[in-house]
Amino acid sequence: MIKVTINGKEINLEKAMTVLEAARSAGIKIPTLCYHEQLEKYGGCRLCLVEVERMPRLQTACTLMVTDGMVVRTETEAIANVRRSVLEFLLINHPLDCPYCDKAGECELQDLVEKYGPATSRFKESKRKVTESLEDPVLVRNMERCIVCTRCVRMCEGVQGAAAIAVIDRGGHSHIEPFSGGKFDCEYCGNCVSVCPVGAIMSRLHRHSYRPWQLVSETETICPYCGVGCTLVVQVRDDVIKRVVPRIGTAVNNGLLCSRGRFGYEFVGHKDRLTAPLIKKDGVFEEATWEEAIRLIARRLGEIKDTFGGSSIAGIASPRCTNEDNYVFQKFMRVTLGSNNIDSTARTGYAGAQAFIENIFGQGATANLIPGLSNSDAVVVAGGDPTAMNPILGLQIRACARKGGNILTIGHIKGLRHYTPVELRPSLFSEDILLEGILSALKDKKGLPGSNQILEGKIKDINLSSAEVTRVCGISEKDFALFIDKLSGASNAAVVIGKEVVQSSGGSYRLLLLAAITYLINGRVYLLSERANEQGLLDMGCAPDLLPGYRPLGYAEFRKKYEIAWKSPLPEQPGLTIFEMIEAAKSGLLKAMYIMGENPVFNMPNSKEVEAALKKVDFLIVQDIFLTESARLADVVLPALSWSEKNGTYTNMERRIQRLRKAVTREGMEDWRIVLEIARNMGSKMNYEDSENVFFEISRVSPLHRDLGYEEIEKGTAIYPYKGEPLRSLTEEIRTEKGGSIESAGKLYLRLERPLFHSGTLSRKSQALVNIYAGAVARISPGTAGRLSLKDGDIIRISSGIGSLDLPLAVEKAVEDSVLMLTNNFEGRGAFSLMEYSIDPVTKAPVIDGNVVTVEKVGR
Amino acid sequence: MFSEAAKKELQEIRLRYPNARAALLPALYVAQREFGWLSPDAYETVSDLLGVPKAIARGVGTFYAMYKHKPAGRNIVQLCTNVSCMILGAERLVDFLKNKYGLEPGGTTQDERFSLVIMECIGACGTAPAMLVNDDFYENLTENYIEEILQRYK
Ligand code: SF4
Ligand code: SF4
Ligand code: SF4
Ligand code: FES
Ligand code: FES
Repeated sequence: MIKVTINGKEINLEKAMTVLEAARSAGIKIPTLCYHEQLEKYGGCRLCLVEVERMPRLQTACTLMVTDGMVVRTETEAIANVRRSVLEFLLINHPLDCPYCDKAGECELQDLVEKYGPATSRFKESKRKVTESLEDPVLVRNMERCIVCTRCVRMCEGVQGAAAIAVIDRGGHSHIEPFSGGKFDCEYCGNCVSVCPVGAIMSRLHRHSYRPWQLVSETETICPYCGVGCTLVVQVRDDVIKRVVPRIGTAVNNGLLCSRGRFGYEFVGHKDRLTAPLIKKDGVFEEATWEEAIRLIARRLGEIKDTFGGSSIAGIASPRCTNEDNYVFQKFMRVTLGSNNIDSTARTGYAGAQAFIENIFGQGATANLIPGLSNSDAVVVAGGDPTAMNPILGLQIRACARKGGNILTIGHIKGLRHYTPVELRPSLFSEDILLEGILSALKDKKGLPGSNQILEGKIKDINLSSAEVTRVCGISEKDFALFIDKLSGASNAAVVIGKEVVQSSGGSYRLLLLAAITYLINGRVYLLSERANEQGLLDMGCAPDLLPGYRPLGYAEFRKKYEIAWKSPLPEQPGLTIFEMIEAAKSGLLKAMYIMGENPVFNMPNSKEVEAALKKVDFLIVQDIFLTESARLADVVLPALSWSEKNGTYTNMERRIQRLRKAVTREGMEDWRIVLEIARNMGSKMNYEDSENVFFEISRVSPLHRDLGYEEIEKGTAIYPYKGEPLRSLTEEIRTEKGGSIESAGKLYLRLERPLFHSGTLSRKSQALVNIYAGAVARISPGTAGRLSLKDGDIIRISSGIGSLDLPLAVEKAVEDSVLMLTNNFEGRGAFSLMEYSIDPVTKAPVIDGNVVTVEKVGR
Repeated sequence: MFSEAAKKELQEIRLRYPNARAALLPALYVAQREFGWLSPDAYETVSDLLGVPKAIARGVGTFYAMYKHKPAGRNIVQLCTNVSCMILGAERLVDFLKNKYGLEPGGTTQDERFSLVIMECIGACGTAPAMLVNDDFYENLTENYIEEILQRYK
């Protein structure tokens, strides 16, 4: 026990801490500027000076550790004088442009000067002049206001791990600059903006558009972008989102955000938002009333169901929509239309990978806490860059490295390059050999634990010498040995698996290898998830073979329970996956399709074929917030409320159920309510007042969500397995399919770039994200560029078996040789328009890694 | 660009320090020698070779006056104008450089042969005025003597 006396108050402390922390714990305020609870201590601003008995000079409370018997005073005249002087010095170079500064009202410097003075300055000389930098599309840098507290630098380097900014020059000329001196060209997380105490680094999105005290409301909700599920606070004025900020203390992201979460909100108020239902008449959309549209849909779906049966109708659910939306949607499909043809783009990887891994390790095996990553002693990363796909999860991996953990990456994982003691980059199409090699080496080193016989049966068959592996994969023996050494020494390891694993030929076999590696090191699996509610949608039963609560449809006893709960018979046969729907549509078997919050024409490979297939469907309903590529093909388009306009819940990749809250008001209906209206028009008795009502039913019928309510979710404690029980583990036989061997020499492969700044439909309507990353660019390595005699900046024509695109070329070191990287985020220029796929027979995911393209220069 | 020899030199420097950041100062010095000044390219090269983020490298570099952040002449004249040197006529020498060579403090001659940096006491007060040309040290300067010295540098 440490006893300190601060301002005469005796404080007993259990553990060592700084004087500042001790004071705060006792409710005593000490002013600070350079201190920030999320950052490493610095002791630079001298504002927190305090008197400590028996110490000769004033001490900085933010760095001084308490000792037993210490006596501290935090507010004396001498201290006030010093604070006033410190502030006077800080103001020497400060422009005092508070009336014009967006920070006014929440500026720590202004507040301190208001409290401690000085009211006038003795400084008569001229101030430092630096023009405000507007060179960046997202951030404004005003270095006259900078007080060089280095909070931004410590955030960028020590927490975000981007190290994009630094203190430049010295003395009175010190200020903060990104490397270029102008544009930041960084990860654009905006976390530096969060910690800047003054108006020196600010967001450009809301520049001069409001004052902090004019905000009408603040709503805590969940990010609409990825499966990490960060909490964010939406600040609103006049029903317009003015700013999105994080909050310290939230479970997943604790005061941090990534570029999409922080700057990607402008799609909500975009002028292209759909406002009224559209009905296509003679090939042309006409605005219609809700009544007309819903009546038409009810009539047509009814006719088609009666004539061709429920199985002629299919529905695509949405990983952007809430649990409530998806629950009502699948219930409508199953009960009202009598069809199990329900699926989503989770089928492109996440769903299959999860089913595969959980078949081996049991349900819930992939539900692991994201912050736990930073406490691992080794993290294996394969199949994509977590710092781009799931940025906040990526930060936990970087934090793990900082704490001394070993980050072991397989493939080209750019965002972790500075964090790994060894990265293994196998040559094209040799990843599975590398995984086999890692598995063999681990087995030799650690032996088999003996707890999972089925899995061990598979592991026993895999034997590959390290010499063979390193030769085939083109990696050095030294690196391989180091990798194995670090990995086998780990006792608390995590394995992070990205979608690329699943989307490669032999995806299921690679998953098996990764599962086996996880098994040998006794690790935890994390599956990266690109969409906000990808998990929730599966939990809600939006899959052809799952009922709500992740219950397999194939078991009669589960079906029975739902038949009783829903008072309706359910179709027994599993429905079609999203890819099978496209096939069925092509062959004319599908007569109607209802797409909610998804854009398959854009978000599925071989876009043109998807488009052709959807055109063949007799009656197509698309419900969305924009007139997307898919919506344009529809017979009826229904405008839905979007994120931040409705209440509900999302379930993140940890399987934490979180509350989505309405922040702005807009006329219209939530997705679930539209579905409900249609159902009721078809004679269904379904009825819900609000989203909470829907969730109440979920908590009654889904054994996974038993007795769970909004109240509990709001406490943040609704983490898998919630309150109900998970399914018992059903390790069935493990089925895998190896990829064929591929001769890649001399060819160029089109691969999907998954950028940090985009995620398709929402991000491309968010101006700030578009300003950061404006258009499609083809990327190749310097080696490939040399071989093809192409130069950075050339305009090239990329041709595949199914189409071609003309795009600017960028030559970048971070790209793998013989690969051309292209995103699927920009209208009319998506990588998927050039990609064909085959379906992995086990995971049912599309295999897209073998798309060969040719390129030619067509301009500059 | 970095010569192979310079790359090797950098690797050797790196090994003398416990971590990459500690090696920044001598590494930047090598880069300055190779590139003539610390251009963005110079920083990026050092950053790549040492594995230190480029913004951090630049932050360190700009703290020190002896790194150059704009192109400089082939030879650097560093003339002291602090008290002792000033008393013994350093300011006259500054004028001389200006008139004779067109060399302003902080500037570079048209033919890029010389750049002039004004120094604060280089520790030669007893033999002032004094200057450095590149790494060579000269004292007891006069106009004639300077002229003679500068002829040696092309
Ligand atoms: S936005 Fe993020 S990456 Fe960019 S400078 Fe700020 S903290 Fe660093
Ligand atoms: S920009 Fe802001 S956070 Fe960064 S050093 Fe200046 S005042 Fe501090
Ligand atoms: S990590 Fe994902 S959930 Fe978090 S802010 Fe970024 S996009 Fe949103
Ligand atoms: S807050 Fe303690 S020195 Fe800045
Ligand atoms: S004053 Fe010039 S060397 Fe000391």
